[in-house]
Parts: sequence; C-alpha cells; structure tokens
Amino acid sequence: MYYAGVVVMGLVVGVLVGLAGIGGGVVLVPAMVYLLGMDQHMAQGTSLFLQLPPLGLGAMLTYWRNGNVDIWAGVMCAAGFFFGGYFGSKIAIQMDSRDLKGAFGSFLILAAILLWWRSRPQPLEKKSNG
Amino acid sequence: MANRRLILFLVFVVAGVVGVASGLFGIGGGVLLVPLLVLLFGFPQHTAQGTSLAALVAPVSLLAFVNYANAHEVSWTVGLLIMPGVFVGGLLGGKLAHKISPRRMRQAFAVFLFVLGVWQIASAWMLHPNAPH
Repeated sequence: MYYAGVVVMGLVVGVLVGLAGIGGGVVLVPAMVYLLGMDQHMAQGTSLFLQLPPLGLGAMLTYWRNGNVDIWAGVMCAAGFFFGGYFGSKIAIQMDSRDLKGAFGSFLILAAILLWWRSRPQPLEKKSNG
Repeated sequence: MANRRLILFLVFVVAGVVGVASGLFGIGGGVLLVPLLVLLFGFPQHTAQGTSLAALVAPVSLLAFVNYANAHEVSWTVGLLIMPGVFVGGLLGGKLAHKISPRRMRQAFAVFLFVLGVWQIASAWMLHPNAPH
C-alpha cells in the first residue's frame, strides 16, 4: 500500500512538472518530507538519485527541433552544475536537518518569486509565437 | 560575436553558483537557471528552457549524489518507485499544458511553491522548536 502510494505520488508530481515546465526536485523534496515522513537530508539525496536518468530528454528534443537549444551554453551550464553540486552537497551534509529544512523553505520562496516573474508576458515570447 | 567566449565563461560561473544551490537542496536547478539565463544573458524564453533541459540531460548531479550516497542519505526503493511516475506524469502534464494557459499555470505553481516554502520554514524553525528531528 505504501509503495503504491509512492508510485501515485510520482505520477501526480510528474503531471505538475509537465504542466509547469519545471524540474521535479523542488516539489518532490517537500512531498517526500511531508507525505512519506522522510528526513530532509534523505529526501534531498533521493531527489538527486532519481534525477540521474535524463527524464527531460523527450522535452529537450522538441526544443532542439525548433532551434531553441544553445548547445555550448548548455555544455557550460552542465559543467558548472557538475562542480557546483559537489560543494553544495558537502555543505548540506554537515548541516543540521532542521536548519536545512528551513533553508529549503527559503529557497522555495525565492524560486516562487522567480517563477512569478517569469510568468509575466514577454515580448520575445510573443514574437516567436507570431 | 567577439564576446561569445566571455559570455560562455560567465554562463559557466553562474551555472556553478546554481549548482551549489542544486547540491545544497537536492533539486535539478532549472528553476533558477532558466530565469537567470533570461535576466542576465538576455536569452529568449524558449532558448533558455531548451538550453536548461539540454544541460540536465547529462547526469550533472552525479558528484552531489555520490556525496549523499556516501553519507547514507539516499532511499533507493522510493527513488526507483518515483522515477516511472514522474516520467509518465510528465508526458501527461506536457500534453495537458497545451489546453491550459501556461502563464496561469506558472502563476498557480508559483503561489503553491510560496505557500510550501512558508510551511517548511514554519515547521523547521517555529512550530516545534524543541522537537527532535
């Protein structure tokens, strides 16, 4: 029953991810903490684990066909992520679980503000649609 | 494009900073990377999203994941069970997105994340200050 619930939870989060066009980790971590009662560190480690396979490959190909991928910028981003992630995880692991949870909450608020900003109508978006 | 190399270098630096946040919070990083590519480097919205997705096709969180795994902070069963759901759900959500205004959807999602963030801060630092966790 527990495992069936986990699969359904993944499905619901996936729909949300596809709808909003955003990575799943930002929703999956709180879902694992509150719905599965996982520790904050464990939820974050599990979130990183399930993002190892290229789940966004299909979506990326549709952007690629429309000429909307800057491949060299993508390579630079991947390299930056790779090394940055090493240091970030080192900091997280030695943090107290409760402080990490609060810091994650602060991060969610920052992400919400950036997302709201991005959701304003943009002239470039209009041009490419027209 | 004489500045192309400089821009690519700056993209690398910004992605490195976003990567620190990614490892710190166990998230993908696209949620920060996409708006930053638009705001700092003037990428068109679609190119920013496509470039972010392209970067995340590589297993970029590998080093961060290894650190968590070494600290025994990974639940393998839950991770494996969530993967197929997110993949299938993502396809369904992507199709559904064409029928709903993506702007409205993002705004609803932003409000949802904001509430979730406040809840996390409250439950971490305010509600049970002495609870063992």
